[in-house]
Amino acid sequence: MANAIQMSVAESEAPLIHFCGHAFLPLLSGGLFWQAENTLLVADLHLEKMSSFARSGQLLPPHDTGATLQRLASDLAETGATRVICLGDSFHRDEGTSTLLGDDKNRLEELIADRDWLWIAGNHDPAPHALGGACCPKTKIANLVLTHKPTQDLFGQVCGHLHPAARVHINARSVRRPCFVHDERLMMLPAYGVSTGSLNILSPPFAGLFERRELRVTMLGRDRLYPVGAKRLVGG
Amino acid sequence: MSELPDKIQDWFSDRGWQMRDHQRRVLEVSSAGHSALLIAPTGAGKTLAGFLPTLAHHATQKHDGLHTLYISPLKALAVDVARNLTDPIGEMGLDIRVETRTGDTPSNRRRRQRYDPPDILLTTPEQLALLISHPDAHRMFDSLKRLVLDELHALVTSKRGELLSLGISRLARLAPQMQITALSATIARPETLRDWIAAPVAPQTTELLEMAGGAQPEVSILASKDRLPWAGHSASYAVPDLYEIIKNHGTSLLFVNTRSQAEMLFQALWAANDDDLSIALHHGSLDVAQRRRVESAMTRGDLRAVVCTSTLDLGIDWGDVDLVIQIGAPKGASRMLQRIGRANHTLDTPSKALFVPSNRFEVLECEAALEAVHRGVQDSEDPVEGGMDVLAQHVLGMACATEFETKELFGEIITAWPYRNLSQARFERVLEFAATGGYALKAYERYAKLRRTPEGKWRIANAGIARQYRLNAGTIIAEPMVRVRLTRSMERRPGRPSTPRGGRVLGEMEEYFFSQMRVGDTFLFGGETLSFQGMRENEAFVARTQAKDPKIPSYMGGKFPLSTYLAERVRAILGSPDEWHKLPKQVSEWLSLQGHVSLLPGRDNLLVETFPRADKSYLVCYPFEGRLAHQTMGMLLTRRLERLRARPLGFVASDYALVIWGLGDMSMMIRNGQLSLDELFSEEMLGDDLEEWLDESSLMRRTFRNCAMIAGLIERRHPGKEKTGRQITMNSDLIYDVLYAHEPDHILIEATRRDASRGLLDIERLGECLRRIRRNIVHKPLLRISPLAVPLMLEIGKEPIFGEGRESAMAEAADELIREATGS
Repeated sequence: MANAIQMSVAESEAPLIHFCGHAFLPLLSGGLFWQAENTLLVADLHLEKMSSFARSGQLLPPHDTGATLQRLASDLAETGATRVICLGDSFHRDEGTSTLLGDDKNRLEELIADRDWLWIAGNHDPAPHALGGACCPKTKIANLVLTHKPTQDLFGQVCGHLHPAARVHINARSVRRPCFVHDERLMMLPAYGVSTGSLNILSPPFAGLFERRELRVTMLGRDRLYPVGAKRLVGG
Repeated sequence: MSELPDKIQDWFSDRGWQMRDHQRRVLEVSSAGHSALLIAPTGAGKTLAGFLPTLAHHATQKHDGLHTLYISPLKALAVDVARNLTDPIGEMGLDIRVETRTGDTPSNRRRRQRYDPPDILLTTPEQLALLISHPDAHRMFDSLKRLVLDELHALVTSKRGELLSLGISRLARLAPQMQITALSATIARPETLRDWIAAPVAPQTTELLEMAGGAQPEVSILASKDRLPWAGHSASYAVPDLYEIIKNHGTSLLFVNTRSQAEMLFQALWAANDDDLSIALHHGSLDVAQRRRVESAMTRGDLRAVVCTSTLDLGIDWGDVDLVIQIGAPKGASRMLQRIGRANHTLDTPSKALFVPSNRFEVLECEAALEAVHRGVQDSEDPVEGGMDVLAQHVLGMACATEFETKELFGEIITAWPYRNLSQARFERVLEFAATGGYALKAYERYAKLRRTPEGKWRIANAGIARQYRLNAGTIIAEPMVRVRLTRSMERRPGRPSTPRGGRVLGEMEEYFFSQMRVGDTFLFGGETLSFQGMRENEAFVARTQAKDPKIPSYMGGKFPLSTYLAERVRAILGSPDEWHKLPKQVSEWLSLQGHVSLLPGRDNLLVETFPRADKSYLVCYPFEGRLAHQTMGMLLTRRLERLRARPLGFVASDYALVIWGLGDMSMMIRNGQLSLDELFSEEMLGDDLEEWLDESSLMRRTFRNCAMIAGLIERRHPGKEKTGRQITMNSDLIYDVLYAHEPDHILIEATRRDASRGLLDIERLGECLRRIRRNIVHKPLLRISPLAVPLMLEIGKEPIFGEGRESAMAEAADELIREATGS
């Protein structure tokens, strides 16, 4: 596996991630393309997050949904994926499915119309909805369980939920970016939505989820992805 | 009516006092029905002058309702002035009710003050904003005769001043008969401040009353026998001298520029305190109760010395301070004059002050400041132009008070000096923002905060908006802070995560400070060495420790940049070797050596040195434009050098100079024409490079956070729940990114850009600098480091290196992983 990473970095921009016998292409956007299944996996879109503050009097820029959908559209165009699986927290809250502005709603419908679309329920958006595609609590493809929140003792899970980010510190410089993180049993995607924050994978919510010795981290750079070694990771 | 009413005349005579000239002038101007700006040095009885017309009026006539509103920048000052007024009023036998109103005033009294106001109300700009946002504000203010603005020079250079100016524009409408008497320390351009006051009360005449300074202060620079450090800010070399000086004076105030310097100096003085002198510490992070204890001990005359930061720049009269000591860079001449004024609050005896440079460059700055003080040069900042974020807050507040027509409120607002040039179109954009967020996408019509009435007036959508406004009003935005709580040191027991338990709160510190700490790290706070034990929610737990050599809190450069005037003088001293005899020998030798091995920076040129060191190439330049402008310059130059393939790695900026280092040989690149310094330093860097850099700059995000909170886009407080700083920071960064990407012309992005360019980025200053040095760059390639470069080179490693967010850190970590995997 280390070799695989080495090959791909050396070759160029597309380091494949190998997990439980499958190869995935991580995207700069935070999406994960599963070539063998022609499937795009995305986690934590948090659509309609900004507008969800309006009721409490904070009129935040309502552009996040459009921007996230734009991101999704270009990933789909690039990969040609015929199936999309959203790993939960696709909407910042259940009500979000009814507050989409006209243009955003149309854009989402267009995206869904052309392909298989699966909404996995998250803690922010547990309720099923009728925006097109199918809604379900979790799903299984090949030997993998696709779910929102990781559970501790299951082998072969792909999930989102915690919005992982890593900070590397090297030669007196440090940089913090969202990241893919996995070990032999669990793969967690970074949050995909433009309005999402992130949590350092060394922070307490991650405790016990990953085997530190097997930790593989792929950080999202501006123009490429960076697989980094666990020993350079710091908190904060 | 310059004759005093008998009651007051008797009061003066009983004490053997006479009305001072400027006090009489204020009285005359006031009885002529004019407003006035009184400029007088500290100790001149300015505050009494401000109130004399009010006292005189009450001595002869009856007045119903609020007569005089007094506004000061500090709550403590308002409280102190109330005390100082109450005594004379009692002694004169006048029937005047004086009350204060601050955030600490109980809510029942605040409510009562609105329907039954005192004769004189003493308050702050924030409270004024709240008072005029009530629908019944006209009832409270229609009797108002006088507005007294204290320490106005300190307010008008900040957003608090912008808000105050808007508040005054409303007061002037509620009480057209109102006269303003403003009090200010000596400033560079008094006419501008006079205009600031005159604008809202026009066509009333506003007179400028300038009172000549008192006795010339006696200022000197510490002549220490010890070695002057090349760099650093601790002034620890001077501690033995300082201790002797404290011993030989009654009470000394020791001003330092940052809290960490205050901590270090306090610690060092106590280590030398064999005589057990009462030396105290005062800075903004210490618990309020602790600060009040120090202040009252000071007033009682119980202290020999107080080590303090700018927290004691303004404020209550200390009584007998014999000596003011400025440790470290003075930064500005006006600032120093005001600080020096803290010694001896009487006019006729000279104030005594001592400058203590903490490194060699600061010697030059102290020399320049000393000369400026002797010549009475002023370099204070001018009042600022009004920001749209503050305006948005005011507009919402005005809608809470009463419904308004666009034109009518616009007409009122442009009587505030900072907004005199506001166009109606911009004002309407601010209105749109306050109503629905001002987005191109009309997403929030149903959540609108302001709605149009059938007659086309604006009003708030519901009463909840007013409650929310009152919780969030004001322009003082604190950095996210955490409480520092004392706990016992915890033994780490395997398998049992220990939870820190709470003890006493020692004070507050910026959250970012703890974000860089690991458990067990030690630091100085409140004069003790503490070890960090962990964070829980909003609290940092710390334990006392005996550890030596505490980690120094990261040096946050003082808030104030080196003034343009002092910078110019420092360059002039450097460029005139015949002036060096005034300098300590160590310093003049240092400069002579620089002249031998390299060149000296001139008054109008820019010296750029390049030299190799270890395996890197260094470029050092000496613009003397202040740390912020240098940081921005560093960011922009680094980008340009990257494009020119000089492979820059990082830079460090001080108030005086900037060093950039990289892998490419910059001396060679300049020699063979690959790198043109004229092009490198061309003003064009403020074009595209600046734009690109702003895209990713965390400074813009930090500035945005303030603007967004002031404008009411993000709430600081919501009824029922307090947001922690951490949550706000995270959200505001995301909001900024989304807004910047999609509506770069949004009114708040404009406001952010404007604030950043005069604040954290200091682009204005950088622009002036680049124009000054155009085609005037002197390059000196060297084989090794120059004497003048040494101080800055010593900062490398101590200062945070810029380059955060650069991808190379990830690339290096990734390469390392590859090497590890391949065993190479």
